[in-house]
Amino acid sequence: MTHPGPRAQDPVAQTATYVFAVCRDTRAMNTADLTALPGMPGGAPLRLLSSATLTAVVQSVPTADFTDEVWQQRLSDRQEIERYARAHHEVVSAAAARGPAVPLPLATLYHDDERARRVLDDEAERFHGALKRIAHHAEWGVKVYGRQKPPQAPGATPARPVAVGAGPRQAPAPGAGLAYLNRKRSVHQGRERRRQEALSVAESVDAEFRQLAAASRRLRTHDASLTGDHRVHVLNATYLVAEERVDELMRMTRTLRERTDAQIELSGPWVPYSFVGEV
Amino acid sequence: MTDLDFRAGGQPVPGPAGTNLADILERVLDKGIVIAGDIKIDLLDIELLTIRLRLFVASVDTAKKAGIDWWETDPALSSRASRDALQDENRELRERLEALEASVDAPAARQADTGKTRKTKTSKQAEDQQP
Repeated sequence: MTHPGPRAQDPVAQTATYVFAVCRDTRAMNTADLTALPGMPGGAPLRLLSSATLTAVVQSVPTADFTDEVWQQRLSDRQEIERYARAHHEVVSAAAARGPAVPLPLATLYHDDERARRVLDDEAERFHGALKRIAHHAEWGVKVYGRQKPPQAPGATPARPVAVGAGPRQAPAPGAGLAYLNRKRSVHQGRERRRQEALSVAESVDAEFRQLAAASRRLRTHDASLTGDHRVHVLNATYLVAEERVDELMRMTRTLRERTDAQIELSGPWVPYSFVGEV
Repeated sequence: MTDLDFRAGGQPVPGPAGTNLADILERVLDKGIVIAGDIKIDLLDIELLTIRLRLFVASVDTAKKAGIDWWETDPALSSRASRDALQDENRELRERLEALEASVDAPAARQADTGKTRKTKTSKQAEDQQP
């Protein structure tokens, strides 16, 4: 499996070839200067690797730092995973500046350049198919959030106790139990109503964007622990949009924002990560 | 929020600046063309990763810092989360109601300072006192 041959020029540390993205083998691509980007922490300078018809953006990285065990550690550390994910994303984005680029998932590694090149050749058809699909298109993310909770009326219940379980309780006034329940119920109903409204806005927003997009995907709504955002996230969708329709996309976003009560966030243009896989 | 995290009118610059981690993770982990690498790394999908990161955060940080109530409103945990949250809240409400009823039945002396608020027993203690 691991032939020492191609690695002979690198006797000190064992390295692997990390592949970020695959592009067409064009002059524009082959003259791209990627040296400004660091790539993966601890890796050698970024470089291009050509196969028969494709060019990949690759980097030699220390094999010891890219084992499954090391990655499992990394995946438990928010800062570490952020560092590597952003480094990967940065290189993929830079690769796409010169023409369509098919991103590979984080941590796609080959024993050496020869192995990577062989995969490019073996999978050339799929890569070219994906490159064709995403050429002159970008991915745009659309997120819809429900309306914020209305400001609390004066005298309303203070924020719930921090700890779950037995906290200090207030002495009740007569009828306080019922008032408390009513208050709780109306808070619940309000929250549920807002959620339903937001969900229906989400569906109509998605329907509108789908009309404009070449393809669309629904992603999982986000978790507050990653984003620090405690709004109710009701739609996380992403659309493959042709370059010439981007103005339309902007207009549509503005119109939808005015027409609906929900918060609509647009992000992009992204390298079409979500649209290079098998549909 | 009216801030736009895209560069309106500009040339498509692949990869918006200042994007949040979740946006990036869901793209670099779960997406991209699937090509077998030589070195097998189990990356998890973003949902599992989020759970793992959350556990990690919870284990090193205080619950408050992680946002003790984030899961109540977190649709990422889908309907199950909201159902669980509702059940929990129901249970809490029942406990509080029992506690309140117990206190109303308690000596009239308490009614003297109904206007004021003061610390009283926890619902658990109140329950224990019930006949």
